[in-house]
Amino acid sequence: MNTANDLLTIRNLTTSFRIKDTYHAAVDDVSLSLNKNEVLAIVGESGCGKSTLATTVVGLHNEVNTKVSGDIFYNNQNLAKLNEQQFNNLRGNDIGFIFQDPLSALNPLMRISEQIEEGLIYHTKFTKQQRSERVLELLNHVGIANPKRVARQFPHQLSGGMRQRVMIAIALSCKPAILIADEPTTALDVTIQAQILDLLKTLQTETEAGIILITHDLGVVAEMADRVVVMYAGEVVEEAPVKELFNNPKHPYTRSLLNSIPQTHSENERLEVIQGMVPSLINLPREGCRFSGRIPWIDASSHETKPQLHEIAPGHFVRCTCWKHFHFEGEEGGGTV
Amino acid sequence: MEQKNDVVKVESTPPTGIQVVIREFRKDKLALFSFIGITLLIIAILIMSAFMNQDEILRIKLLERFTEPGVNGYILGADEAGRDMYGQLIIGAKNSILIAIAITLIANALGIALGIIMGYYGGFIDNLFMRIIDFLMTLPTLMIIIVLVTIIPKYGVFELILILSAFQWISTARLVRSKALSEGRRDYVSASKTMGTSDFAIMFKGILPNLSSLLIVELTLNFAGNVGIETGLSFLGFGLPPSTPSLGTLVSYATNPVVLSTKWWIWLPASLLILVLMLGINYVGQALRRAADAKQRLG
Repeated sequence: MNTANDLLTIRNLTTSFRIKDTYHAAVDDVSLSLNKNEVLAIVGESGCGKSTLATTVVGLHNEVNTKVSGDIFYNNQNLAKLNEQQFNNLRGNDIGFIFQDPLSALNPLMRISEQIEEGLIYHTKFTKQQRSERVLELLNHVGIANPKRVARQFPHQLSGGMRQRVMIAIALSCKPAILIADEPTTALDVTIQAQILDLLKTLQTETEAGIILITHDLGVVAEMADRVVVMYAGEVVEEAPVKELFNNPKHPYTRSLLNSIPQTHSENERLEVIQGMVPSLINLPREGCRFSGRIPWIDASSHETKPQLHEIAPGHFVRCTCWKHFHFEGEEGGGTV
Repeated sequence: MEQKNDVVKVESTPPTGIQVVIREFRKDKLALFSFIGITLLIIAILIMSAFMNQDEILRIKLLERFTEPGVNGYILGADEAGRDMYGQLIIGAKNSILIAIAITLIANALGIALGIIMGYYGGFIDNLFMRIIDFLMTLPTLMIIIVLVTIIPKYGVFELILILSAFQWISTARLVRSKALSEGRRDYVSASKTMGTSDFAIMFKGILPNLSSLLIVELTLNFAGNVGIETGLSFLGFGLPPSTPSLGTLVSYATNPVVLSTKWWIWLPASLLILVLMLGINYVGQALRRAADAKQRLG
């Protein structure tokens, strides 16, 4: 079911949350694929469904409040159809997950060594001796200076950067084929961010794992990613190789995002922003182009009634047709393709 | 190289776990005193009772009836059947304490397990058990216990422990459930899941230790309560049979007006022991409760 180069294929994935007895799709009909040895970035504002997509892939949603439809193919298995037991064999072993806030994602009452060992206990037949050796090796690998001491410590005794390194060590403990990093640098300060990104990049080239990197930091995307998926309001609005996306952004949302990056060389002016905000799950317009409400100066006729993804260049997909007529507010526009 | 190793040793960490408890007890002398006192008292009672001959103590000697304390080698006198009060007090205290410990352990083990399962899974399981608990809480516990005690044919220590445990787990389950509900939605639980950890391991190896501060307090105060409920039942005559001395049966001699007004040595020592035990355990429990909550700490 996976094509030769694909590691993970997501097809028509919809994740809906139950709010007051009706289901609202937070991830709406998303299809994408991750290749071996590739960093796929998923970008978008808060509330666009990035994290929901990631947590759906590892099956973290409980069945009481969430409905998942569509397929997630990995290694000829459909993750969307697995039961808890089958998922537990896969999680940690084949898919590693790095959380946003390392402090809350580490158990405050377990020593670092125990937390790293957890995955090894379930997925390997290592003896206790081998496990503790592997823990030290991993800590060393993620650049922790004194692995022996850190292994005995508790999460509150470490700095933010060290905690995130530990998180990465945990995710890597069983050499997963896929690493999902959900905003791995958001909770860290800028110097540490760079170190963590470098570390991820090095580890990725070493292990040849595929990484899904979820972020809203376009700087991170430019530095890390091979391919970028832009999500808005639960949908993929644009997908392109990283260079193509930065040089030739098409969808109004992507262009607005890029436009709102502060420019260091222009000294004047106010920061550019995107008008309005991401509509909440309940008020999300399900008909027509979902971004249209935030670019009201664009004529309604330029949107498709049922926006589809169009391939406008090899590997470059854009949803809706409004990009052909898009211009920033106050600029002359229209017709520039 | 050697110098380097010395430098590494220097680090300051906030006090954790047992250190916080020790600091709290240092500040609260009453709790420290209670803790040492209660521990020594319980150990002394257990050791002394091991060397006592229960049959000898419980043998009826009518000639020694109502012997006053200090006479004929009766340290605390004798009751209306001439039985040594001192021996009865020690054995009674041992029985009461062991029964309270057993009830506390059984009831809390059940309550904690159910509470964590309810809080962690939520949804249907949670609703189901919460309704059952709501129902059980509306029942008049004392009356049901009394009825059960009367209708059970072969009634002894073991049966009493089971009956009391059957009603004690409810409050623990509610308490643990509310905490597990919030704890189970923390990121580290999801993180643990992404490593392929089974639900069972997450509940009892991940979440349970994070509830420990709450549970230690709950166990301690429950223990005091269980000493109370056993003695209370025995006093009313629905606890242990008279052949098994306990603090409650000893106090219940005071229901006889003659004993109450003139033979103080029969009921006073047991009453004082109950008072000391309950107060001491409560002081310890309160110190532990403060230690568990950073806002209330004294130390």
